[in-house]
Amino acid sequence: MTRAWQIILVGALLGLFALFYQGLWGNPRYIPTILIGTPAPVFAAPQVGSSDSLSLDQFKGKVVLLNFWASWCLECKLEHNNLLALNERFGRDPNFVMLGVNYQDKEPDALEYLRTYGSNFQHVRDVKGAIAFDYGVYGVPETFLIDQQGVIRCKTIGPIVGAVYDNYVQRVLPALLSGSPEQVGC
Amino acid sequence: MLIPWRSAWAVAGALAVAASVLAATVDESDLDTRTREVAKTLRCTVCQTETVWESGSPFAGQVRDAIRERLQQGQTPDEIRAYFLSRYGDYILMQPPTRGVNWIVWVGPFVLLFVGGLILYRSLARWVTPSLPPPAEPLDDASRQRIERELRS
Repeated sequence: MTRAWQIILVGALLGLFALFYQGLWGNPRYIPTILIGTPAPVFAAPQVGSSDSLSLDQFKGKVVLLNFWASWCLECKLEHNNLLALNERFGRDPNFVMLGVNYQDKEPDALEYLRTYGSNFQHVRDVKGAIAFDYGVYGVPETFLIDQQGVIRCKTIGPIVGAVYDNYVQRVLPALLSGSPEQVGC
Repeated sequence: MLIPWRSAWAVAGALAVAASVLAATVDESDLDTRTREVAKTLRCTVCQTETVWESGSPFAGQVRDAIRERLQQGQTPDEIRAYFLSRYGDYILMQPPTRGVNWIVWVGPFVLLFVGGLILYRSLARWVTPSLPPPAEPLDDASRQRIERELRS
């Protein structure tokens, strides 16, 4: 075998090893999203427990935390207190708003959930999953952060707990609210 | 010393209130964490390698409904596929499109098969060809003289 062939063979094996490493030891929850940096799809939907409609357009110029949840979702319960805490902490800022999107759920169940666990922000119903499709949602909970220009800056798959919550509080939201989305780091 | 029941209930009540206050600030209980850690290692097989047609998941059902609705509105299958592609990326397609790095997926196995076959062929050829012993080195004068001496003796 010539020297060139040996190099090609070693290169190919290393490439295969890298591929297997990424496939087997990478984060299995990680799903690449193509919507970061693109304009957030605008929607209008009925509110949970009310026939009044709410539109994303109403919050133009604000940082929007959009959280997809469902009453049957265990991880949503896990993050619920933290969502309330986020709104407690940043809700006083006039440039911040949180919006829940109730996904694949029955309205009475969603209302019962909100009564049981409490709520300090508004929620809309994604009746046919259309909002979820527009945002490329795979499952709940998923959270999107939209900057003041209406561009999606972050997507979090899974609950906002632990280090993810700390990052939101310490870096992501302060950066977005100070108008420096390029320093968001999420 | 025996603790009176009333005091015991009071202590338990106080602990329960303290726990609920703490629960509002702590993310999850130890049991929650362990449950999550184990559950994270188990894959949802229902959602793997199934098309939205085959899958019984609510997500697949909603995608089916959306496809039907969009077809009724007059959208073409390509337009519908393009919509889902624009929202979810290549991940939503059962067959990765033949462009960019996806070419590796399409061509890679054939290249590896070819290279592997070539290596196998060369190895087999080497094993099958009888190997001749290396030619003997010519004797130097000293060795020749020593052999002749020993033969004479």
